Amino acid sequence: MKNITVFLCTCFDEINRVVDYERLCSHLSDDPRVAAVTVSRGLCVSGGAGEIGASVKSGDGRVLIAACSPLARGDQVMRDLERAGVPAFRRHLVDLREGCAWIHGNNPAAATEKALDLLNMGLTALEYKEPSADVTLKIADEVLVIGAGPAGMAAATALARCGVDVRVLERGAQPGGMLGLVSRSYPDNTDPSEKIAAFRDLAASDPRITFHSKVKIISARGYAGNFTVRFTAEGEELQAHAGAVIIATGGRVFPPKGYYRYGEVREVVSQIELEARFRKGPVKKENAVFIQCVGARCEERPYCSTICCPASIKNAMRIMDENENARVWILHRDIMMPGTTLEAYYKKAMERGVRFIRYAESDPPRILGDEAVETVEVRDDITGDRRTIPADLVVLSTPLIAGTDAEAIGDLFGIQRDSYGFFREIYPLHPVETRIDGVYICGSARWPVSSEQAMVQGEAAAMKAAALVGRQTIRASEFSRVPGAKFGHARVNEDTCSGCGNCAAVCSFDAIRLQRRSGEGEFRMVSRVIKVRCKACGNCLSVCPNGSMQMPEMNTKALYGMVGKAFS
Amino acid sequence: MAVEVSNNHKQQKATERTPRILVFACKWCGLIGADGAGRKREPLPPNFRVIPVECVGSVEPDAVIRAFADGMDGVIVMGCHLGGCRFNDANHAAFKRLELLRALLEGVGIGRDRLLVTFGTAHEGHQFTDVLRNFTNLIAKKESLDTSWTSSRARMI
Repeated sequence: MKNITVFLCTCFDEINRVVDYERLCSHLSDDPRVAAVTVSRGLCVSGGAGEIGASVKSGDGRVLIAACSPLARGDQVMRDLERAGVPAFRRHLVDLREGCAWIHGNNPAAATEKALDLLNMGLTALEYKEPSADVTLKIADEVLVIGAGPAGMAAATALARCGVDVRVLERGAQPGGMLGLVSRSYPDNTDPSEKIAAFRDLAASDPRITFHSKVKIISARGYAGNFTVRFTAEGEELQAHAGAVIIATGGRVFPPKGYYRYGEVREVVSQIELEARFRKGPVKKENAVFIQCVGARCEERPYCSTICCPASIKNAMRIMDENENARVWILHRDIMMPGTTLEAYYKKAMERGVRFIRYAESDPPRILGDEAVETVEVRDDITGDRRTIPADLVVLSTPLIAGTDAEAIGDLFGIQRDSYGFFREIYPLHPVETRIDGVYICGSARWPVSSEQAMVQGEAAAMKAAALVGRQTIRASEFSRVPGAKFGHARVNEDTCSGCGNCAAVCSFDAIRLQRRSGEGEFRMVSRVIKVRCKACGNCLSVCPNGSMQMPEMNTKALYGMVGKAFS
Repeated sequence: MAVEVSNNHKQQKATERTPRILVFACKWCGLIGADGAGRKREPLPPNFRVIPVECVGSVEPDAVIRAFADGMDGVIVMGCHLGGCRFNDANHAAFKRLELLRALLEGVGIGRDRLLVTFGTAHEGHQFTDVLRNFTNLIAKKESLDTSWTSSRARMI
């Protein structure tokens, strides 16, 4: 069938100075598949994509472009063709400049041979490429926020302000999350209960926010634009239909069990217990010692939790506020106070007389005392001196660890978790997105953060969700992991699919489900591709034992055809 | 004695012929490496052809076997860094699959080193050229593959 139009670009004689274009032209015009050959001096500058598009639009026309590499201008020409109405299966780009002329400049004869092969490969690919139908889907206009800690509250507030309906699911009875456990937030030194109260009022008054407390999630299914989540709220079973899901389930404090005689002697408390004491009333102490990095930056948890240093400095100054004669030591391995605000906060603490002593991981402080703590023995890592500090309170700063329900939530939505159980973002450049489109993460569920940063992340996730649910419909090809639209989706031939499930097991986007084939007398399981989730990586077709799974834009015939023509 | 002579003869034949190398390059790393080599105008032996794929996940083991059946002397699969794939862990899966295939290739007498799977080494142009040159040298030292017996079977699809 003569349906392929070939456009050869000389790139202002860059390519044809090496490659013999006359030979290419004569070879191509002899090919029975080629309808016409056009040689152009610069496809990218002539703006010819529109004309090319018009010339191949009718019927079953296909277009082969031989020009520079995709990274140079090739992809741009391809995008122009897409806009001109030439879908991916009807176009093919052959890289003759970077891939041939420029690297084989010393051997024009071989370069021409190679160019011929590359063109042949392109023609064969075009012969077999097929379209994979795109789908357009409606997007549910509600956003589900799971967790009403600082991140979840900020996300819900931001979404409501944007005019988006939000449903907030909170496992506890009240919003606030870990913000409800602390006495004051740093560095502004304000009472966080004000923030929680403000959100509670907003949730009660704003018709856009629906708040559910005492929630247990039963099931979650669906994909971007159409998530269905079943849950119980205060014993009542409910269902939410959401376009996007924001996960803000937070983390939890690592209990310092087995560290520094915690639980053995009195007045050795964790940071969060000190916060609880502050919330009850003033804490009057003469000599307080804070020990940093308890169970953090060690072999088991090598990460820095980032919030413990500011929290200790905040509480150290609070103890000095409540008893002006109090002496406070902070025993640390490094003080982590990034940014101008926190650095100023650190300086302020030093000016107020908080004493910082650095200890080595190999020689940690020792808690002395029989019933209650009496002294802390520490070796100053800088001077080498051994010091004995009188203490009537020892505060252990422990890191945040992944929440208890992180695993369950991760499994429900198919989100990856890192070695420490925190949800994994798409690294790099997509800090609040997950590998499942339409599911966003923020706050300490993602990584230990302060309440302030959790709020920032909550708002970021809210904006991502708003951008998705703000649209009425979306095409599956737009959920792309690559610049521009996806070039296709995997497609199953249900007649030949044996239902082995290899593809479903290997898919890293949970895009394939085994389902019973509908139809009378059909009791087979077959694979179904969820096009929204499919990212066209092709792992499924590589494990398919009988070729039932295909990527129509680059199917087995096209690939094998290209292999066969590689040295023809 | 006679066997030795014929072996020597074959060896000589193999070195005379430039090996044919097929490269499956993922569009997001391997192909960018190839592109980088091109932009630097690094002179390269013209004995390789690149097939761009969206992700090395889509390089079917069958396609690699087909390449050997069609007369390639070596196949390179170039993907992104493990952990740096745009398609989550698609290249991990591909790596495991192709590693199994290499074992199979060894078993059927093609030899595991005729299939090179590189991840992350291809992102820069000079690395692409290094990989290609080293691999070409390696393959050139080998005897050429006898593909006469495959010609009828390989056309089955």
